[in-house]
Amino acid sequence: MTGQAAYRGWMAFLIALMGLGFAVWLHQLSNGLTVTGMNNVVSWGLYIIAFMYFVGLSAGGLIVVAGAQLAGTEQFRPLSRLAVVLSGAAIVVAALFVLPDLGHPERVYRIVISGQFYSPLVWDVIVIVAFLAIAGVDLWLLTRPRVRESAVTVMAIVSLPVAILLASVDAWIFGLLVARPFWNSPLLAPMFISSALVSGMGLLLVVTVVLRKLNVLKVEQGVVESVGKLMVWFIAIDLFLLFAEVLTAIASNVPDHRDQTMLLLSGKLAPFFWPEVILGGLVPFVILALPQTRRKNGLLGLAGALAVGGILLKRLNIMMASMSLPLIELAPGQSFGRYVEPGERFWLRLGDYTPTWVEWSIAAGIVAFGALLVTLGVRYLVTRPLPAPAIEPAASGAATMPAR
Amino acid sequence: MAENNGNKKKKWGMAVDLDRCVGCWTCAVACKQENNVPMGLWWNRVLTRGEDGLDMPEGEYPHLEMGYMPLACQHCEDAPCLKVCPTRATYKREDGIVLIDYDKCIGCRYCMAACPYGVRVFNWGKPKRIPDFDYGRVEPRPKGVVEKCTFCVHRVDEGLDPACVVSCPAQARIFGDLNDPESVVSVAVRDRGGERLLEDKGTKPQVFYLRRRRRRAL
Repeated sequence: MTGQAAYRGWMAFLIALMGLGFAVWLHQLSNGLTVTGMNNVVSWGLYIIAFMYFVGLSAGGLIVVAGAQLAGTEQFRPLSRLAVVLSGAAIVVAALFVLPDLGHPERVYRIVISGQFYSPLVWDVIVIVAFLAIAGVDLWLLTRPRVRESAVTVMAIVSLPVAILLASVDAWIFGLLVARPFWNSPLLAPMFISSALVSGMGLLLVVTVVLRKLNVLKVEQGVVESVGKLMVWFIAIDLFLLFAEVLTAIASNVPDHRDQTMLLLSGKLAPFFWPEVILGGLVPFVILALPQTRRKNGLLGLAGALAVGGILLKRLNIMMASMSLPLIELAPGQSFGRYVEPGERFWLRLGDYTPTWVEWSIAAGIVAFGALLVTLGVRYLVTRPLPAPAIEPAASGAATMPAR
Repeated sequence: MAENNGNKKKKWGMAVDLDRCVGCWTCAVACKQENNVPMGLWWNRVLTRGEDGLDMPEGEYPHLEMGYMPLACQHCEDAPCLKVCPTRATYKREDGIVLIDYDKCIGCRYCMAACPYGVRVFNWGKPKRIPDFDYGRVEPRPKGVVEKCTFCVHRVDEGLDPACVVSCPAQARIFGDLNDPESVVSVAVRDRGGERLLEDKGTKPQVFYLRRRRRRAL
């Protein structure tokens, strides 16, 4: 199969998925959210888990690009366009994931006309719009025929705090709620930043390895390895913060916080928690930390994929640990929220949730749209020959671009 | 009785006497009927204090006792649901009643995540009623919005007590003005040492629970 045919096939596949997702969303709009697995106890599900995840994915990529620029590190420069494309696509995906979660998506404009500033959701709208604008300007700058180093640096100064704020507000949506002991931790925002970095870099690693394999992107081996090398630190920090959180919850023995944490360690969420820690954390850590394994492209890609998957599990666990155990769990509990035939389950004391085919289809459609954006971005923006370095030695020091 | 407290600002509140509650669910059913609450949703429930299930006793044999805890919106003074609502759909009236403007609700369910008491319910699908007509005196809510106890605001504004209060066969509920120190509810809360649910969360509910004074042994 030629490259062009493969590209067309891939695009057709993505568009088909998007069509499926959109059709299923129409089905959900006409029937209501009753076609999802969510209920009065687990009132947020796959859509908000994915929202939480893609916001992090988005922030992570831009934090690395901006941080490297400000630190004067040139080694990631060949990947900066790709990272910005991934960030931009991820934030669009995140924003889209909110829509199917709403009971009345046609009323979202109300957040703008009568927004209530105490709500972290309103902060999130503001920071997402700002972030989207920054990613757009960044991309425009990085694809100019002559990249002005000073402009890129200014953008880095602006985008680094916004990206960090994006990951933090993502955490504060959950972390500021008194009703949710497992979320209600000052560590949540720092942990969301470290998770954002791990998943953002993991995605960058996977996509880079795949694009190199496809001969679409030409990046030197050293550059890819250095991404992996840096990721080691972020995985370590992320695991440390998780350990600190779990240790505090268990050792201090505050009932609700402890019980929700125990759901992860040995309760019904353990089958998701331990893979998160071991497969999504320790394994990629070891692969990327050891020079022998880090040099192998396949393993680099695997480590990135494991990290990306591990953080997805982490988001799921954060959501479900809190939603599974309401503060008041006396019998008979809260109603499931639908009309059921006599004999069917009506009451829920503890949270129980399995996404339905509707949720999976809509999620697949939205993710396919993100993949489409990335594909187009790579084709038209990333793989264009890199411009010659701007002649601005005073501002940028020795800004040397790898010749293409 | 919803006493008249002259022109002073009112703060409506309720006391639930756990000594009197017999766990019959009359208040829960009366609430559904009064407020046109569709199938599958409850604004007001009567929880069993025993650990094992509905109508199960607390404690170890032979030291068993029965206890119930009716639960609906607590109409918190510092309501967490109100602070997170992105569109001001949830609001608090001057008289302390927490309400939802169903035309402004975008159905994000942030309030449901924020409520420590788990008393908010969502219209997941098109509301279904059996028989298939509206009952009670309250407008039906559309699919895709959150709803909850309103303290029967339509009755309170007419000087009546909420439906759960008037329907209780054990007279376990007292409704009135918490700002009036001599109202029946204020006196009961003061004399009986009314407690608030999840007091450590700092939400300051306007619903108080009067503790059981005697063991109701089986």
